[in-house]
Amino acid sequence: MGEIKPDILQRALQREKAARKQAEGILEDKSRELYNVAQELKTVNEQLESVLAKKSSELQGMFHNLVDAYVLMKVNGDILEMNDAAKELFGYDPKNEKLNVISLIHKEDINYAMNSFQELVTEGFFTDYVARAVTKDNGVRIVHINGSVIKDKNNEVIAAQGIVRDITSQIEAQQLKEELLRNLEQSNKELNDFAHVVSHDLKSPLRSMNALITWFKEDYEDKLDEGAMKSFDSLLNKIEKMDHMIDGILSYSSIDKNEKEKQKVNLNKIVSDILEMIFIPETFSVNIHDMLPVVMGDKFRFQQLFQNIISNAIKYNDKEKGVLDIKCREIGGFWEFTLADNGPGIPKAYHRKIFEIFQTAQDKTKSTGIGLSIVKKIVNMYGGEVQVSSEENKGTTFLFTLKKTSK
Amino acid sequence: MKGIVFTEFLQLVEDKFGLEMVDQIIEESNLPSNGVYTAIGTYEFSEMLSLITNLSKNTNIKTDDLLLTYAEHFFGVLAGGYPQLIERYTDPLDLLESIENHIHVEVRKIYPSAELPTFEVLERTPDSLAMIYKSSRAMYSFGLGLMHKTFEHFNKKAVITCDKLKDDGTEVKFMIQMTNG
Repeated sequence: MGEIKPDILQRALQREKAARKQAEGILEDKSRELYNVAQELKTVNEQLESVLAKKSSELQGMFHNLVDAYVLMKVNGDILEMNDAAKELFGYDPKNEKLNVISLIHKEDINYAMNSFQELVTEGFFTDYVARAVTKDNGVRIVHINGSVIKDKNNEVIAAQGIVRDITSQIEAQQLKEELLRNLEQSNKELNDFAHVVSHDLKSPLRSMNALITWFKEDYEDKLDEGAMKSFDSLLNKIEKMDHMIDGILSYSSIDKNEKEKQKVNLNKIVSDILEMIFIPETFSVNIHDMLPVVMGDKFRFQQLFQNIISNAIKYNDKEKGVLDIKCREIGGFWEFTLADNGPGIPKAYHRKIFEIFQTAQDKTKSTGIGLSIVKKIVNMYGGEVQVSSEENKGTTFLFTLKKTSK
Repeated sequence: MKGIVFTEFLQLVEDKFGLEMVDQIIEESNLPSNGVYTAIGTYEFSEMLSLITNLSKNTNIKTDDLLLTYAEHFFGVLAGGYPQLIERYTDPLDLLESIENHIHVEVRKIYPSAELPTFEVLERTPDSLAMIYKSSRAMYSFGLGLMHKTFEHFNKKAVITCDKLKDDGTEVKFMIQMTNG
C-alpha cells in the first residue's frame, strides 16, 4: 500500500466520500417516499375499513331481516350459521349444537341433494332445488333452496350459502287445488250425464201424457163441456212448456261438452241466418249498424248466443213497432256487442237473476228461463262478460264482450 | 445501469489490478459521474462501457474475457444477496430457462426501471437448453459468466457454445449441453 501515490489515494477517498453523500441523499429520498406511501396506505386502509364496516352491517341486517331461512355451511356440510328464520324452520341452533347438512336432508332425497351439491361446487350456484327437509323434531318440510358458494381471494371455495324457503303449505294448497279441480271435473261430468239421462227419461212420459190427453179429448169431445176442454188445453200447454224446459236443460248442459275444434266464424253470416230462420212479425225491425267481426270458436255456440237474445227481443216485444238495434265495436282486446230493443224492459230486481238458470222475468207461459243462462255461459266461455241495462216499458239493452283471439 | 454493477466492478478491478488501475480507468474514461458510485444509485451504461474499454486497453485483456470474469464474480454477489431466487431450483437448466419468466419478473419488482436483456427459449430437453440472448448492451459474455457459475453452484458441468446471430453481439444464440458429473 505504501507504493500507492498519495494523489491516487486522495482521489479514491474523495470518490468514496462523494459516493457516501450520494447514497445518503438517495436513502433520504427513499425514506421520504416510503413515508408518503405509508401515509397514503393508512388513508386507503381507513376508507376500506369504513366500507367494510358498512358492508358488514348491511349483511348483518340482511341476515336478520331475511324472511326466508339463511344457512351458511362449510364445504363439508358443517353448518356455520343460521338466521332466526332458519333456526325456527329446522329447530336447530348451530351455536349450541354441532350440525351437518346431511341430517337435514330426507333419506330418499340424498342422491338428489348430492347431485345438487356437486352442481353447486362446479357451477358455483344452483337454483330451484326442491326437496324434503327433516327438522329436529323429525317433521318433514318441503323446501325450495337457491344456493351459491363463497370463495376466498384465491378463488378457492371456502363455504356455501343457501336461501331456504318452506313451501310445504304452498305445495299442499296446490295439491288440494288439483284434487278439488279433479273432483269438480268429475262431478260436472256426472251432472251433465245426469241431466241427459233425466231429460230423456222425463221426455218419454211427457210424450205419453201428451198423446193420452189428446186422445182423451178426441174420444170424449162430445161429453166434455167447454170448461173441461179449456182445462185440458191448459194442461197440454203446460206439458209443452215442460218439454221446452227439458230441451233447455239439455242444451245448457251440453254447451261445454263436445267442444268442436275452433274455426273462423263470421258473425254477420250467423246473425243473418238467424234472422231468416226465426219468425219475425212485419211490425218488427232488426237493424244491424256495424260490420260484425269474424271470430274463432264453435259456430253453433255463437248461433245459440245471438239467437237467444234476438228471439227474446222479438218474442216479448209489446210495442206497435218493435225495434232491435245491433251494434259492435272494438275495445282493447275485446269485441263489444250491444243489442238494444224497445220492449217491455226488465225490472231492476231481475237484472242479476235473469242469467241464472230457470229464472225468468217474463210471462211464465212463454219462457223456460234457460236462454239467458246459456248466453252467459257462452260469453264467459269466450273470455267475455255480459250485462244488462233496462228501463221498464222502454226497452232492454244487452251488452256483452268476446275476447279477441290471435288466430 | 444499477450502481451495484459499478461498485462491484471497481472492487474487482481493485482486487485484481490494484487501486492505481481503478484510478487510471476512471481518469481516462471522462465520466459524467466522476467515478462516484453507490450501490443504490443508477448510472449511464456508457460509463460501464468506457470503464471496461479502458481496462481492456490497459490490461491487454479482451473485453469479452473481462466481462466473463466479472460475471463470475457477480454471480457470487447475486447468490449472496438473493439466495431465495436460486434456492427455488434444483436443476441449473430450470433456472436458466426461467430467467425471462421468473427471475426478470422479480428483478422488475425491485427495480421497475431496470433495462434487462431477453432470453428466448428455443428448445429444452432434460439435459440441454437453447436460447437466444437479445440486448442492445451486447453483454452476452456477462451472461455466459453467470451461466458458468450457475452450473458450478449446482455442482454440474455443461458445455456452453455461443453463436453470434449479429456481429455486434446484440443477438447471440446460447446452446447449453449438460454433461454427466
